[in-house]
Amino acid sequence: MSTVEAPLYPIAVLIDELKNDDIQLRLDSIRRLSTIARALGEERTRSELIPFLSENNDDDDEVLLAMAEELGVFIPYVGGVEHAHVLLTPLETLCTVEETCVRDKAVESLCKIGSQMRENDLIEWFTPLVKRLAAGEWFTARVSACGLFHIAYPSAPETLKTELRSIYGQLCQDDMPMVRRSAASNLWKFAGTVESAHLKADIMQMFEDLTQDDQDTVRLLAVEGCAALGKLLEPQDCAARILPVIVTFSQDKSWRVRYMVANQLYELCEAVGPEPIRTDLLPAYVRLLRDNEAEVRIAAAGKVTKFCQILSPELAIQHILPCVKELSLDSSQHVRAALASVVMGMAPVLGKDATIEQLLPIFLSLLKDEFPDVRLNIISKLDQVNQVIGIDLLSQSLLPAIVELAEDRHWRVRLAIIEYIPLLANQLGVGFFDDKLGGLCMQWLQDKVYSIRDAAANNLKRLAEEFGPDWAMQHIIPQVLEIANDSHYLHRMTLLRAISLLGPVLGSEITRSKLLPVVVNASKDRVPNIKFNVAKVLQSLISVVDQSVVEKTIRPCLVELSEDPDVDVRYFAVQGLQSIDQVTMSS
Amino acid sequence: MLRQFLSKLPRKSGKSDSPELTGSTSCTTAGSSPQPHRSNSLNLGSGRPCAPKRTSSAVFPASVVAGIEPLLPFKDVPNSEKMNLFVSKVSLCCVTFDFTDPTKNLIEKDVKRQTLLELLDFVSGSVRFSEPAILAMCRMCAVNLFRVFPPNYRSVVSNGGENDDEEPMFDPAWPHLQIVYDLLVKFITSSCLDAKVAKKYIDHSFILRLLDLFDSEDPRERDCLKTILHRVYGKFMVHRPFIRKAISNIFYRFVFDIERHNGIAELLEIFGSIISGFALPLKEEHKIFLWRVLIPLHKPKSLGVYFQQLSYCVSQFIEKEPKLCSTVIRGLLKYWPITNSQKELMFLGELEEILEAINMVEFQKVMVPLFWRIGCCINSFHFQVAERALFFWNNDQIVNLIAHNRHVILPIILPALEKNAQNHWNHAVLNLTINVRKMFMEMDDQLFISCHIHFKEEEAKVSILAEKRKEAWKQLENAASLKPIAGNTAVLVTPLATPIAY
Repeated sequence: MSTVEAPLYPIAVLIDELKNDDIQLRLDSIRRLSTIARALGEERTRSELIPFLSENNDDDDEVLLAMAEELGVFIPYVGGVEHAHVLLTPLETLCTVEETCVRDKAVESLCKIGSQMRENDLIEWFTPLVKRLAAGEWFTARVSACGLFHIAYPSAPETLKTELRSIYGQLCQDDMPMVRRSAASNLWKFAGTVESAHLKADIMQMFEDLTQDDQDTVRLLAVEGCAALGKLLEPQDCAARILPVIVTFSQDKSWRVRYMVANQLYELCEAVGPEPIRTDLLPAYVRLLRDNEAEVRIAAAGKVTKFCQILSPELAIQHILPCVKELSLDSSQHVRAALASVVMGMAPVLGKDATIEQLLPIFLSLLKDEFPDVRLNIISKLDQVNQVIGIDLLSQSLLPAIVELAEDRHWRVRLAIIEYIPLLANQLGVGFFDDKLGGLCMQWLQDKVYSIRDAAANNLKRLAEEFGPDWAMQHIIPQVLEIANDSHYLHRMTLLRAISLLGPVLGSEITRSKLLPVVVNASKDRVPNIKFNVAKVLQSLISVVDQSVVEKTIRPCLVELSEDPDVDVRYFAVQGLQSIDQVTMSS
Repeated sequence: MLRQFLSKLPRKSGKSDSPELTGSTSCTTAGSSPQPHRSNSLNLGSGRPCAPKRTSSAVFPASVVAGIEPLLPFKDVPNSEKMNLFVSKVSLCCVTFDFTDPTKNLIEKDVKRQTLLELLDFVSGSVRFSEPAILAMCRMCAVNLFRVFPPNYRSVVSNGGENDDEEPMFDPAWPHLQIVYDLLVKFITSSCLDAKVAKKYIDHSFILRLLDLFDSEDPRERDCLKTILHRVYGKFMVHRPFIRKAISNIFYRFVFDIERHNGIAELLEIFGSIISGFALPLKEEHKIFLWRVLIPLHKPKSLGVYFQQLSYCVSQFIEKEPKLCSTVIRGLLKYWPITNSQKELMFLGELEEILEAINMVEFQKVMVPLFWRIGCCINSFHFQVAERALFFWNNDQIVNLIAHNRHVILPIILPALEKNAQNHWNHAVLNLTINVRKMFMEMDDQLFISCHIHFKEEEAKVSILAEKRKEAWKQLENAASLKPIAGNTAVLVTPLATPIAY
């Protein structure tokens, strides 16, 4: 301990580490930058550490990424917001590197810092940085600049604002498509800070330029932000300036553009108000629902409910419902799946009559779809389904679908359906459940995929919670305990898993009288894996049963296991014994 | 005579004059494509009998065609009329058919095919192309070729992740497309095409859309495009800087944005021959291209697909300007793959090629980081990587470079060799390692022994160093905890909150 007093040079430690050939060490030290900063104190962090970082940024991208991230939360270490500007220098350099992740992170950190900086500091430090980047020789700097305008703009004085707008306008017409793309995707952010007069003039001009770009990809990104942009405008301006562009784009030759429109259309509706929806957006939407390209129909179908919610029921029935019917028979399974995931929400919008008359057949046909995802999507909205069609009809049509899904070839589908079983049980009620689904729940316990067996055990626990211990005693426990005699050790293992889950739910008495004997019996299994799992289960049951039972039953069993020839069995048995001792001591 | 073939013109000419084309072809790109101004009086077949229905997505422009009829053969008209007939025939081919249904428009499809073949034959001839003819040709190519590709279902349809068939999607219209491509190649390369006139129609937007097609999944199509772009580059000097820039933009987007493009290999192949045509001394602009584009192209996962072409481009640069060797090697080290052994093998291959051409001065500039990296490769658990790195010592040129600089290289490489010799799992690697070690011993016994002693000392120090490092950090943390920061620690929890200054 005598050497502790030797002078320590935090910067030297960092420099030493950053020179190491091992990238992991360099990463670790960058991750601990805040420690170094605190050790140095604010002043030396500003005068030594930050300049050092500004100069030493010729490292692997991974290290630079970590640095960009760390610097974003560095304000406290340099002495608070009044000194925040010193952080801009290293981040500015990181904004110009080649790797996209690093640049993005640096921009993100700059935004974080900028949003805390004082107004004067922003004008003095931040805005010049944005201008430098925007004038950068290499496109990476200009790409980064686009993401910073919305921070710099609000605090700038009038002349500077004019300049910033004009610089952004230039970026929208940059020579490099990479820059124009960045300008397009950041436009709505910048627009959010611009005064409404300039919004209508300058920003809308930029938007129109971008939507007419000769590169597909630029136009695409312009569309992506159009709803956000539209919300900034007055409804009538939005209808006049953005709507026509979108309606044109909804018939674009490129499916990507139409896809983007399909994604944006609903939000745009919120921005324009009812009349243009009826005259312009509804026809556009109906066209997209009937698009030639499945991708576009998928995007459009996913919005069908939301769209109906903003329409009057008559319009929805007249225009949207026919499309929904077509989509439910679409040749692409993905379109049907997208529809199935939202279609139930249409019921409240359409009202009861229209639902029973029109929607129900669609729903039933989706429930019988040959593609499991479609059926699954319907079943997952079960609560809504129940409200709409009533339990009887539901159970009739639902049951075959569920049984089929329960035996689906893909274990992920089986897994998904298991996860809905407690919800189903809740909706259907005890009686119905016992009749039809009880068997399935047992069957899953012996599935050949571990995840399914595990989920099945968990499912039993949730059912026991739902219907209570008495029900469980009657309907689950006997069948479960029978597995103890199964010849397959993996099945016996599942039994142990189920017991460890059910014990806490069923309570001390049932655990003692019904479950514990089975576990103790299993401790004499010939398979060591079973035996050490017995030890684990016993350990988990310590807190469930009374102290006396622990001493009388659990401890002797564990003691016996702790002398087992198998090392793993001994290990877990000893662990179990230790936790008994702990419980005893603490009580 | 003239009347005779005029009478054979499509009958619908008068009727379907107005709506034509605009629907099915008008480009999404603003102001692009050589859309005709309907001013040329020579345009005999002004009635292009295509009645576009709706804009269909993507590959299959579904124009419904009422019917097209064959025109006179070229041999039946006098030379003076041939160009007019050419325009008519080209216009006839602006009709596009729905190939998704093979039973539809069978006769019309065949008429178009025959016409295209006739045109192909005619273009090979020696009649000078008039301006309207050039315009018509460019328009016809635009209408037929410039399509938007459908979504790539291979990546979208996952089908539980079990659908691995790599069957690319082919455009069913290929039988026609292929002839149009052939036609365009013949047309551009024809000595009867005046580049000064044609550049008005084969303009920037035409080139941009040609480049867009390189993303096609069909290798046959990309091959045609490669030839065409190459010829355009050769013929239209004015467009050369633009073409280079536009291709660079595709590369940038590929490397920094999406990492998915089907035509990188073909585009690089074109660049390979462009580079080999660069004049010496190399312009700064071209060197920037090497550094900013070709080197970063080593980064994407799919490097394997275009590696051969890329490495050819790089080697062309080095051949032109050997002083670029160290720059290239530094670049390779920068993008060196860490987890992808297949890529690592490619890098090693490229490295060896460069090292064969490098001179001593250049080599000495980069040998320290280079051999540090080679040392890592030698220790790779992937035996192919380790083997490939050790094979460098089978190359006389490289061994010569190493021998000259052994005082620098051996201390770097020895730890790697020793580590392998002690416990590499693969026998071949083990033997190779021992051979390389022997080579060094034979090269300079004294040096080897002193390096070895030094290595042993360092090895002993490793754990002490690690201990020291831990200790230093512990002290730092200790020191840090004694100095609470100015604001308050709350800012650590919510970085966006404004710290309260005392």
